[in-house]
Amino acid sequence: MPHTGQCFCGQVRYTISSEPVGARTCWCRDCQYIASGSATNNVLFPEDAVTFSGQIGRIEKIADSGNRVERGFCPKCGSQLYSRTIEPAGAVIRIRMGTLDDTELMAPQNVIWTDSAPSWAVIDPDLPQFPKGPK
Amino acid sequence: MTYTGSCACGAITLSITGEVIASRQCWCRQCQQIASGGPTNNATFPTENVRIDGDVASGTFTAASGSTVTQAFCPKCGVHLYGQSSARPHLLSVRLGALDERHGIEPTMAIWTDDAPDWALIDPKLENVARQPAPPKMD
Repeated sequence: MPHTGQCFCGQVRYTISSEPVGARTCWCRDCQYIASGSATNNVLFPEDAVTFSGQIGRIEKIADSGNRVERGFCPKCGSQLYSRTIEPAGAVIRIRMGTLDDTELMAPQNVIWTDSAPSWAVIDPDLPQFPKGPK
Repeated sequence: MTYTGSCACGAITLSITGEVIASRQCWCRQCQQIASGGPTNNATFPTENVRIDGDVASGTFTAASGSTVTQAFCPKCGVHLYGQSSARPHLLSVRLGALDERHGIEPTMAIWTDDAPDWALIDPKLENVARQPAPPKMD
């Protein structure tokens, strides 16, 4: 069964033909911009398993990790859809968890960039934590 | 107080004067779609106190509360800047991630927690409202 998702307004939809390979929460400062002050929660898939339909806004940036990433969002409602790594190649795509039709598909398994989290952030003490990017 | 802020790419800047009326974390399903699976965190100000420079994109949608809500975001980077309810045009709820750091604003209430995913961690110190709370009071 493929997994499916969409942005807030439904202009962008996607299907995913594989099972997730991981899920994580990211508190880097860029993610707090993206997630209205929260961390982003991301489910990881092989990039070629994800097929999007609809118009996608894209912005490229050097992330806090130093990687060159592309972040995709819906230009109609602004929902963030994914982050993928352009350089170095071969990384998994990070699908923004709130856009999955099943937001319980995989709970976050670790928490990254906790050094940047605000003082009021609640971080699950049972999950592995990384002050910066994952190793 | 004066607060400043921007989207991630800097195309939009915010400048706010005056005090925060309410600071809430919203777990409604629509906010989870906007906020990458977590809640939006919002600081509410009088609309007249918020200055926005740059071309903002917006969509207008029916919220879980039944109100019509305008969601404003940067068309270049997609970062959400504020939401505004048709029921309360005199108020504007700024997304906390868009404020420059050291603003000192923290959520004091978690709302629509009925919609939160099983894995959500909600600070037990926050006032917890299962669905729509009463509107914030202005002095």
